[in-house]
Amino acid sequence: MNASTPTTGTLRASGLVRRFGTKTALAGVDLEAGPGGVIGLLGPNGSGKSTLLRILYGLVRPDAGSVELDGAPLEGDGLAIRQRASYAPGEIALYGELTGEKHLAFLLRGRGREALEKANSTARELGLPLERRVRGYSHGMKRQLLLSAALAPSVRVRILDEPSEGLDPAKRGEVLALLEREKAAGTTILLSSHHLGEIDRICDRLVFLHQGKKLADETRERVLERARRLVRVSFDAAPEERVLAGLPGVARLRLEGARAAIELESDDPREFLAALASERRLSAPRAIEYGALSLPDLLRELYGVEAL
Amino acid sequence: MRSELRAKLWMGLAYFVVLEALLVAAMLYWPQFAKNLEHLKSLIPLDVLRDMADKIEESGASAYVHAQHFFKGCNALGGLVAVIFAMNAVAGEAQRGTLEIWLARPLSRRRLLLERWFAGAFWVSVPILVSTATVPFLGSLVEESFDLWRLLLCAAHQSIFLLAIYSLTFLWSTASSNPLAIGFSMLLAAIAELSLYMIERLTHWSAFRLADVGVYQSIYDEGKLPWPITLSLAAVSIASVLIALRVFARRTP
Repeated sequence: MNASTPTTGTLRASGLVRRFGTKTALAGVDLEAGPGGVIGLLGPNGSGKSTLLRILYGLVRPDAGSVELDGAPLEGDGLAIRQRASYAPGEIALYGELTGEKHLAFLLRGRGREALEKANSTARELGLPLERRVRGYSHGMKRQLLLSAALAPSVRVRILDEPSEGLDPAKRGEVLALLEREKAAGTTILLSSHHLGEIDRICDRLVFLHQGKKLADETRERVLERARRLVRVSFDAAPEERVLAGLPGVARLRLEGARAAIELESDDPREFLAALASERRLSAPRAIEYGALSLPDLLRELYGVEAL
Repeated sequence: MRSELRAKLWMGLAYFVVLEALLVAAMLYWPQFAKNLEHLKSLIPLDVLRDMADKIEESGASAYVHAQHFFKGCNALGGLVAVIFAMNAVAGEAQRGTLEIWLARPLSRRRLLLERWFAGAFWVSVPILVSTATVPFLGSLVEESFDLWRLLLCAAHQSIFLLAIYSLTFLWSTASSNPLAIGFSMLLAAIAELSLYMIERLTHWSAFRLADVGVYQSIYDEGKLPWPITLSLAAVSIASVLIALRVFARRTP
């Protein structure tokens, strides 16, 4: 298999477990991706996003589980996977003494001349001064250099760890436009991100990780729909869970002291709100929030996980 | 491979220049050294060093070259360069955080590690061979003649000795993220080994006994390598590289 041979871009991971000493970074994660589409990995720091991406790219060996990219299993040192995919690391550490141009050549060794030319062109499109030494680059410029290299090889799977972290809004927009172009070309992209705009705009599926476990794997539409069905109610005192759960239209309920997050069965909250107002076993609500909540709100309310 | 060699080019050249400068100075000093050897011997406080002076008195300029160039110059300077190249090989990448981008390219880990090992090995050993090749010419300036082939055998043995040190350090680097700790530890080990060498009763426990004037004089006189020693040193290198490959295959960026 040549390093630049195009593949169809399917990725299957099953039962991935990885421990670092006594800490379990991944505790049995399954994931399927492609062909095509953008999958966003979400989760607080330490949830296992980077470890998962590194395993999927063949950089870290799992303690258990398997990875397969277009039929090529993750075995040995993961070379077969790395030849079929490209990767941008989340942690930025570059060789400061190299110029941007030489750095791209370093990053793309083994990918062919065409990939290098494409990376140079992308980097110039992003306005990077390739003739300058990388030690003079800002954090955002370094991020863009890594991304230029990751988007260059002729592969069908790209694994991007925090591709827009540290970028100003204008640059983030340019980077997202590049990713959308890749998506339109049918490339499978796995990315981790903390930026909601990114997730809303380009991801087809969202996978939420917490403490090394997969909490949710849903389409973007489904997540947004759930966001529209979420009602947050604050009371003066903790309400009775049984009473709240018995109100019409309640699909799921999570209580946190005097606050309740309620996922409704439909987009229309009127029946629920009317029942809430007339239910005498509950104290009068102090505040009611309803509408398209932000993704961190949604994930906090649905899964009880903070700190996106 | 070329990029790995280029990355060490300036340090390798600097190592060669200093090694050659030491050799030139030593060779030009030879006539005076030979004239005053008797007086110098009386000033030497240690038996081990006095033995070395005896060998020079007995064998002449060739033993002097072994002492100055191989035992002193190559062991000290070459050992330092070997440790510096090896300690940074993988641990240096880990420490500055570049291990991940180094490993993330579509190249096998075996290839990455072997390229790095060979590049360092090249720059540790080639300056020794090249500088040694200039000894006959430098000898002619002080009216001494040398057998180039026998000198190159000595240089080969010296290189294999340093490559064993290089490979052991390289193995350690493969498993570590702290190159300075490796460097200081190797420096302390070298000082301890040299101290052992200087103590008459313990000198035979020192690793420097495997590359001292006596060894080189026998290589030069007999025109062949001391195979048990040379092969043992080569085996240390090979074993270190094989273990390093195993360790590196599981290394997490």
